[in-house]
Amino acid sequence: MNATNKRVAVVLLSLTFLLLSFGAHSIAQTTRGGADIAVVVHPETPVSDLSLSEVRQVLLGERQYWNSKLPVVLLIRAPVARERDVVLHVIYQMTEAQFKQYWVAKIFRAEAASPPKIVYSNDMQYELISGIPGAIGFMDARNVRPGLKVLRVDGHLPGDKDYPLH
Amino acid sequence: MVRALLSFGVALLAAGISCAQSSTPTDQTEQIRVLLERIQQLERRVTDLEAKQVPASATAVSTAKENPLPSQTPQQQTPPPATQPHDHEVREQAATVQQMEQHYPSLQIRGFGDVDFAATDQKGTNSGFNLGQLDLHLASALSRKVTYFGEMTFNAQPTGYTVEVERNIIRYDYNDYFKISFGRYHTPIGYWNTAFHHGAWLQTTISRPDMVRIGGTFIPVHFVGFLAEGNIPSGGAGLSYNVGVGNGRGNVISRPGDAGDNNNNRAWVANIYSRPRGLYGLQMGASVYRDKINLMGRDFREWIIGAHLVWTKETPEFLAEFVNVNHRQVLTDLATNSQAFYVQLGYRLPWFERTVKPYYRFEYTHTPLSEQVFTNQDLVGSIFGTRWDISNYAAFKAEYRYTKREIANPWVNGFFLQTAFTF
Repeated sequence: MNATNKRVAVVLLSLTFLLLSFGAHSIAQTTRGGADIAVVVHPETPVSDLSLSEVRQVLLGERQYWNSKLPVVLLIRAPVARERDVVLHVIYQMTEAQFKQYWVAKIFRAEAASPPKIVYSNDMQYELISGIPGAIGFMDARNVRPGLKVLRVDGHLPGDKDYPLH
Repeated sequence: MVRALLSFGVALLAAGISCAQSSTPTDQTEQIRVLLERIQQLERRVTDLEAKQVPASATAVSTAKENPLPSQTPQQQTPPPATQPHDHEVREQAATVQQMEQHYPSLQIRGFGDVDFAATDQKGTNSGFNLGQLDLHLASALSRKVTYFGEMTFNAQPTGYTVEVERNIIRYDYNDYFKISFGRYHTPIGYWNTAFHHGAWLQTTISRPDMVRIGGTFIPVHFVGFLAEGNIPSGGAGLSYNVGVGNGRGNVISRPGDAGDNNNNRAWVANIYSRPRGLYGLQMGASVYRDKINLMGRDFREWIIGAHLVWTKETPEFLAEFVNVNHRQVLTDLATNSQAFYVQLGYRLPWFERTVKPYYRFEYTHTPLSEQVFTNQDLVGSIFGTRWDISNYAAFKAEYRYTKREIANPWVNGFFLQTAFTF
């Protein structure tokens, strides 16, 4: 092997390694660090503290009523929002595709009439949660405004050391 | 040697480039994410500016005060904006809420379809394509507590298509613990029959296990009557139930009595299952079904018991179900027991953006020679296959089956392909 060929081979292999590393990094980068995600509900919702598994039960559509007169109205941010990433990763423990398939199957099994409502911004979410009794949503704790009720999860509020949604 | 190394390098480079190209959507995703964050910043600024225009006398809603965020959160570091909304804000908010609130009736239609290819070495069969079921599913909330669900299939036959009403249900919810419905169901015996219904896209494999085959007779796949269902207050055990009363099997044993029962005896079914809160993904349950069957002038008592254990997460996916069917002829007291079970294991691979899931299923059915209600349904077989989700709503599946029906028949090798989708 002459020196030129060796150099070409080394360059090609180095480039390949770099590109593969970049691709792997891009694929692996699915969640980002950030502020805690608050679980917020309409102020009249008769709960103030849920365990993480109870939050999961609500989000999975296994608990559909806060009480016999107040149905749960699920709100979830549109894809790409960090709030959605955290909800899917920590609560549903599903990928985006699995989440979509889950709700198609849920409705098909006649266990729910509709999937969670999609919200596109914090303002929209604020308006819906404060306007629809029984609504529950998830927002960056920094964006929580007065007029919403923040639920404790496993006894913790956003910002607490052991708060699970971040 | 040098050529080989260069070829290897070029091949790896090509792979690297394609891998880098595949990361383009991730870049776009990141851009969208940045834009969304920018929107949120702007929303905050608008809120701040509007707050400055309004006297700071507005009061925060008490519920937020009751649940203040801890002092270290950024929310507390900057004082919350005053919340005296402008008229146009109130109008916008009301419009948004009105737009997003449920309207009744709110019909949603979803379809499922599949196209299949089959080739086996069984004598007397032809290889070729066939259209699977075209399945339409309807769901409509009629009020906050009343919902309609329907399912219709269009089935290819040698002389045309048949249309079948698979499910037709109206349900009244009282709360999570009590929901009552009337209509035509998939009988809640075991797991598969109510988890996957008719859409092949919903299930991992190409076909259903033989014991719950559409048009099969081993268990009554459909049920006409009423059903009560709900959660059972049970803490972390996560118990739920279904209890139903209906017509049971009709004169054609694979069908329920849609147009009326063929005797004055009602069938009943009870199903209880647990989804433990501490083991998210696990479900286990037991079912009982009781009926009286009239078959060519003879009466039989039917007892079906079933149990299932499933792990619904896909890393791995594990489904196992067992059913025993007891038939006792009323006149002679002669009893038979038939058993069927399957075990299915799948695993969604971490590569290829988690779109590939290989799977294996073993299934077994035994019917004794003295069985009088069924024809012989003996089966033993294995299925190896792979599912590839080409999008969120469409999949390709490929399967190899090695099965044997009845003792005297030879083993059959089969190769099957399917594309299944929902729309």
